[in-house]
Amino acid sequence: MTAPRGVGARLPFVDGIEKVTGAARYTADLSSTGALVGRILRSPYAHAELLEVDISEALKLPGVRAVVTGADCDQPYGVIPIAQNEFPLARDRVRYYGDPVAAVAAVDEVTAIEALSRIRLRVRELPAFFSSADARKPNAVLLHDNKPGNIEREVHNEFGDTDAGFAQADVVREELYECAEVHHAMMEPDAALAVFDAERGHLTLYSVSQVPYYVHLTLARCLKMEMAHIRVIKPFVGGGFGHRTEVLNFEVICAMLARAARGTVRLVLSREETFLTHRGRPESQIRMKLGLAKDGRITACQAEVIQRGGAYGGYGLVTILYSGALLHGLYDLPAVKYDGYRVYSNTPPCGAMRGHGTVNIRFAFESLLDAMAKELGLDPFEVRRRNLLQAPTETINGLKVLSYGLPQCLDWVEKASGWIERHGQLEQKGPLRRGLGMGCSHFVSGSAKPVHWSGEPHAVIILKLDFDASVTILTGAADIGQGSSTILTQIVAEVLGLGYDRLRIVANDSAITPKDNGSYSSRVTFMVGNAALDAAENLKRLLVTAAARRLKVSVAEIEWLGEAAIVAADPERRISFTEVVEEALVGTGTLLIKGTFTCPPEFQGGKHRGGAVGSTMGFSYTAQVVEVSVDMDLGKVAVEKVWAAIDCGLAINPMSVEGQVQGAIWMGMGQAISEETVYEQGRHQAANLLDYRVPTIVESPDIDVHIVESLDPNGPFGAKEASEGPLSGFPSALAAAVEDAIGIRFTALPITQMRVFDALQKKPQTTPPESVSTASARGDT
Amino acid sequence: MAALPDFQLLHPATASDAIRMRALHPGSRYLAGGTDLLPNMRRGLVATEVVIDLGGVDELTDLHEESSALYIGAGVTLAVIAANRTVQDRLPALAQAASGVAGPTHRVSATLGGNLCLETRCRFYNQSESWREANAFCLKLGSDTCRVATKSPRCYAAFSGDIAPALMVLDAKVEVLGPLGTRVLPISDFYRDDGITWLAMTPDELLVAVRVPLKTGWASAYEKVRVRGAMDFPLAGVAVALRRENNTIADLRIALTGVSSRPEFVNGLDALAGHPLDDTALAIITRRIKLGIKAMETTLIEVPFRRRITPVLAKRMVERLWEMVSTSLS
Repeated sequence: MTAPRGVGARLPFVDGIEKVTGAARYTADLSSTGALVGRILRSPYAHAELLEVDISEALKLPGVRAVVTGADCDQPYGVIPIAQNEFPLARDRVRYYGDPVAAVAAVDEVTAIEALSRIRLRVRELPAFFSSADARKPNAVLLHDNKPGNIEREVHNEFGDTDAGFAQADVVREELYECAEVHHAMMEPDAALAVFDAERGHLTLYSVSQVPYYVHLTLARCLKMEMAHIRVIKPFVGGGFGHRTEVLNFEVICAMLARAARGTVRLVLSREETFLTHRGRPESQIRMKLGLAKDGRITACQAEVIQRGGAYGGYGLVTILYSGALLHGLYDLPAVKYDGYRVYSNTPPCGAMRGHGTVNIRFAFESLLDAMAKELGLDPFEVRRRNLLQAPTETINGLKVLSYGLPQCLDWVEKASGWIERHGQLEQKGPLRRGLGMGCSHFVSGSAKPVHWSGEPHAVIILKLDFDASVTILTGAADIGQGSSTILTQIVAEVLGLGYDRLRIVANDSAITPKDNGSYSSRVTFMVGNAALDAAENLKRLLVTAAARRLKVSVAEIEWLGEAAIVAADPERRISFTEVVEEALVGTGTLLIKGTFTCPPEFQGGKHRGGAVGSTMGFSYTAQVVEVSVDMDLGKVAVEKVWAAIDCGLAINPMSVEGQVQGAIWMGMGQAISEETVYEQGRHQAANLLDYRVPTIVESPDIDVHIVESLDPNGPFGAKEASEGPLSGFPSALAAAVEDAIGIRFTALPITQMRVFDALQKKPQTTPPESVSTASARGDT
Repeated sequence: MAALPDFQLLHPATASDAIRMRALHPGSRYLAGGTDLLPNMRRGLVATEVVIDLGGVDELTDLHEESSALYIGAGVTLAVIAANRTVQDRLPALAQAASGVAGPTHRVSATLGGNLCLETRCRFYNQSESWREANAFCLKLGSDTCRVATKSPRCYAAFSGDIAPALMVLDAKVEVLGPLGTRVLPISDFYRDDGITWLAMTPDELLVAVRVPLKTGWASAYEKVRVRGAMDFPLAGVAVALRRENNTIADLRIALTGVSSRPEFVNGLDALAGHPLDDTALAIITRRIKLGIKAMETTLIEVPFRRRITPVLAKRMVERLWEMVSTSLS
C-alpha cells in the first residue's frame, strides 16, 4: 500500500516554508512606508465617569495628524448582535484599567507618545468591582445600566428530573471548584494596518483577526461606511486561540485613525496592551453535584457556575451557555440541572478561549467523578465506561452524537500508559513521588448555528481554474497557524488527484476570497472542509466531462488519474491534465467553481432558550492519562508524560492532528500548573510573558498521541475537530495524578508549587486523601 | 514595549577609553550583552543619551587560568562560562548559576558583568511607563514613595542576579577600574542593601573582571526557586560551598539572591566548623538562612512561601554536597 498523498498524508504545512524561513509577513511586518504611527491612550482608572476628554493640546503638537475619541464613534459593537455594549473608544464611562479612551496618529512614535501625554481626562471615579462576589452585592454600582445586579446573563435549565436522579443515587457529593482567569498568550501581539484611500473614501484594513468577516461588518457599522467600500485582509497570523474570534477595539481604532488622518496608520500593540485586550477564559467558581449509583452509573448532575466576565459583553453569554450545554455530549447523563451567572466586573473583558466554556466545568465534573468513584471503589476508567453514550444518539438537551470513539480512546490510553499495573503503585525515588491520573473531554466541530444568521451557507469555497492549468483555492477561512489552508489543500488534492505543485491557496482577502464566518469553534475542517470537498467534486465533474468530450467517449468511460485522464477500457487513449484544462476552457474561459456547505436545521440545537450554543454536527472525543512527579520537599509538580487518544473522525493530516493535540494538552497544562492573570485593584500585574507564567520547553512533557478514526457520517471524509477537545481533559487528569502521587486532591487551579508546598507542609502524616482548596467545600449524602 | 529612544553610541577599544568616555558623559550607560539594559530602556526605565558599547573592548572577554585562580573578564558571556571545563569541574556553583540564567538565547549575549550589575527588580518598577504613571510611580523612579513598603525611606527592589551568590560562596574578588586605577574587592563588598544604589561602585568606574580561587576539597552548587525551568529570575536563589573533613564540616558558605536588594551572604555558619552535619547543624543552617532572607513583596509570588521554601532547598543542597564529598573521598 502506498502512503496517502491527499487526505491522510502527513503533509508539512503548505505555508510552512515561509514561516520557518522568516519570509512570512505578519501584520507588523507589512510594508508601511509613509504610514503614521498609531497609539492608544488607555484609562488609568478601573471605573470612572468620563466627564471630558480634552485633546486640544494634542492637536496643536506638530506632527500629529489625527486624534480620535469616543465622540468619533457612537455605534456600539460586539460579536453577539443582542449584546453589543462596547465602543472602540470609551464614551461617558471607562470600565477597566486599560479601556481605550483616545488615540492619535502621528508622524513618528515619539510624537505620538508626546501627543498622548497632552490629552487631559476629567473624570469622576466610581466604585470598582474586581470579583464576581463584589460586583453582585446588592448596592453595587452597575457597570451597564440595563443589567441589574451586574449580571450579564443568567442561564437556568434542567433536562430530565434531577431530584429524582439524586434520590435514586447511592452516593451524592457536592464540591466547589475554582479556576483562575487565563489568557491566550499567542505569540503574535495585536497589530493592524489601515489604509484610507482619501480620493475614493475607501478603507483597507490588514489585521491579525481570526474573523475577518466580522471585522468587515463591524468596520462598516462603527465607521458608518458602505461594506462595499471596505476591504479586509488577513496576512500571516501568529496564533489566536480565541483572542481574535471577535472584533477587537484596536482594529476599529486603527481604521478610525486612518480615516481621520486621510492616510495610512500602523497600530502595533505592546504585549501589555495585548494582555489588556484579553478575551481569555474567565475566573470561575463551579459548584458541582453528582449522584452515582453503586455500580458507577451517574443518576444526576447539578452545576452552578459563576464567571467573572470583565467589563463588556463580548462572547460572554455564549461562554456561560457553553458551560451548561457541554456538560452534555460526553457521557450518558439522565438528568442535568444548570445555573450559570455571567458577571460584569471592572477587569478586561473575557471571551472565547480554546475549549470555549467547557474547560473549567470539565475540570470540576471529572474531578468530582474521580473522587466519587474512589469512594465507591471503582477505577476511574471503569466509572467512565459505565456512563458511555451509544452513537447515534441525541442528548437530553438536543445535541446529536453520530460518531463516538471515546471507548476506543479509553482502551488505548489505559493500555499505553500501563494504567492497570502502574496506577497507585508507582515507585518512590528520593523525595519524588510519581502518580497517574486520567480524564476525558470533548468539543464541537463548529457551532451549527452561526452568530450572524443570514440564510447563506455556513461555508463557501471557490476553485479557480485557468489557462496555466493551475488550481487556486480561494477561501475566507483564516489560517491562524492551525493549518486550515493545508487541510483545505489536501482535500482538493485528494478529490482532483493533482500534485501539490499545481495547487495554490489564497486566504484571505475580502476583495478576492469568498466570505467565511471565521476560524472559531473548531469549524473550519468540518464546515469549510466540506465546502472544499463539494467544490472539488464539482470541478472534477466538469473536468471529466471535458476529458470525455476531447476523447470522444462518454463520461462513464473516463478514468480520472488526476494528472491525466484515460479511457478505462483502452488506456492508450490518454490526455494530460493540461489538455483537459484546454478543453474545459473552450468557449467559456477561466472557470470559477464553487462549493458550499450548510448545517441542516435539525443539527442546530434544542428548542430551549440558548439551545443553539453547543450544537454541532460532530463532537471530537479525547481520553488522556497524565503522569506526574511531585517533589515532596519543594512541592514542585513536573508533568513527566502524557498519553492522549483522540477521536477526530478521520485525520486528514495525522501530523497536524498530533500537533494540535499536543498543543492543546500543553495549553491545558499551562492553566493547570502555572498560568493566571493577576489584578490588584484592577491593575494587571502580570501583563508580560515574564510574570504571566506560560510553561517553557523545560516544563513540556513527551506527549504520545493516538488517533481513533470513528468516521463521522457528516465530516469531510469522516473528519471532526482535533484542536480544542484535548485541552479540557488535562487539568483534572493532572489533579488526579497529583493525588495519586501524594494523596492530596486540589480543587483550585492552577496547582502551583506554592499551593502544593503549603499543602504538603500542612499535611499530617499517613492520613487518607483530603481535599485542599482555597474555597470551602461541603459534601452531603 | 516602545521602540528604543534615540541615543549616541560610542565604541571604546579599551577599558581605559571606556572610563574616559564615561567621565565625559556622566549620564551615559555601559552596554555589554544588553539583555537587561535594552528592555529597561524600551520601558522608559533608563533615560540616557549616550550608550558606551563595550563589545569592542577585547580585554573584557579574557578568560584564563592563573596559578590558583580563574580570571574571568566582565564581558565573557554566560554561555561561555557555563560551558567552560574548569568552571564545570572546579566551580560547579558558578556553572550552575550561569546556565540557570534566563534562556539559551539570552546567555549567548548576556555577560558576567551584566549579571553582576543587574538592575534591581520590583513588580512596581519593571512595568511600562503608563502602568507606572497610573500607579503614581515609585521610589526607585519618579516618586518619593516605595510601593512595596509605603512608609519606607528606602527602595526595596530585589537584586535578582544568579551569579553573585555563587561567586560569594566561591570567595571571588572583583576588579574595578576607575580614573585613579584598579581596585580589587571581595564580591560581598561590591554590593549595598539599597534598591537604588545597590552597587558599591562610583559612576566613573567599570567592572573589569572577577578572580575566582581554584581551591581543592570544596564542593559547591547553585539552585533557585522559580516557577518555570527557564526564563525566570530567582524567587530565591541559593549557593552553597562546602568543605568536609571526615565526618565534620570544615567550611560551609551559603549565599542567597532574590531576597533583598543585594546578594546576601549567610553569616554565622563558621560556628559549624568542626561539627558533624546533624540535626542541630541543619537547624542552625535553617535559622541563619531565615535571618538572611529579607524578602519583600517585590514579585507576584508571596513572601511567606519564599521564606519557608528557601531553607528547605538549602538544606537539601547541603545534604547532597555532604554526600557528594564523602563519595569523592572514599
